[in-house]
Amino acid sequence: MKNTFNKFLFSASKINKVHLQIVWSLIALAMLVLGAGAPEDVGGVGIR
Amino acid sequence: MILLLSVVVGALTGWGLARWQGRIWQPPSFQYPALLVIGFLPQWLAFYFEPTRRLFSDEVASACLVLSQTLLLGFAGLNISLSGLPFLALGLALNLLVIVANGGFMPLVAESAARLLPQDILNLIGYGERISHASKDILMMESAIRFPWLADRFVSPDYFSYRFIFSLGDVWIAIGAFLLLAVGRKHTPQGALGKEHDQQNHS
Repeated sequence: MKNTFNKFLFSASKINKVHLQIVWSLIALAMLVLGAGAPEDVGGVGIR
Repeated sequence: MILLLSVVVGALTGWGLARWQGRIWQPPSFQYPALLVIGFLPQWLAFYFEPTRRLFSDEVASACLVLSQTLLLGFAGLNISLSGLPFLALGLALNLLVIVANGGFMPLVAESAARLLPQDILNLIGYGERISHASKDILMMESAIRFPWLADRFVSPDYFSYRFIFSLGDVWIAIGAFLLLAVGRKHTPQGALGKEHDQQNHS
């Protein structure tokens, strides 16, 4: 348990401003693309 | 959702190119991000968020779509200097034009829909009706559509297991999103990756 927590802290310490900026940019672009586009998805699940 | 593929492919391409050139990949930095969130919110409530989209009538949903895309077009205009944004803005403008010209929803050409859907399902939907609460499309005969070449009319290739029907505007949006991420932010300092490695080694 303590080992897992230490691993989490180690991973979290590697997250810096650049990583957050990348995540935000991808989320922002996903919103823009989803909002701008209007394709009709049909395959796989069929019409909902 | 198929357009998200261009975001994923663009991000992977941009990241791969940056690694190859020995620099840090930096995605675009948007100006006025609040406008993007405010612009997307009406669509998210009216089309994407399951608990709320069923509460919206067709009239309110179409108003949300037009309002949302108008705000997003403004956001794109304010960020037009970013690589790829002019293509994305062009696609958005084309989609918005055909949506407004046809009553507030994206027309889906019935002849194209018939290539992917059984006729009995098309009969259930009916011409002029929305495909579903989650869809921005209404089914229309091509002859009844204003600007039919801008409507959802192009069918994905047969070798794609995931089938979809898309518009000319969607193509420009996909190209723009890909370029935005593949090119990334301009003026990325060359050799920054090496400097970062040096700093890590020293610390």
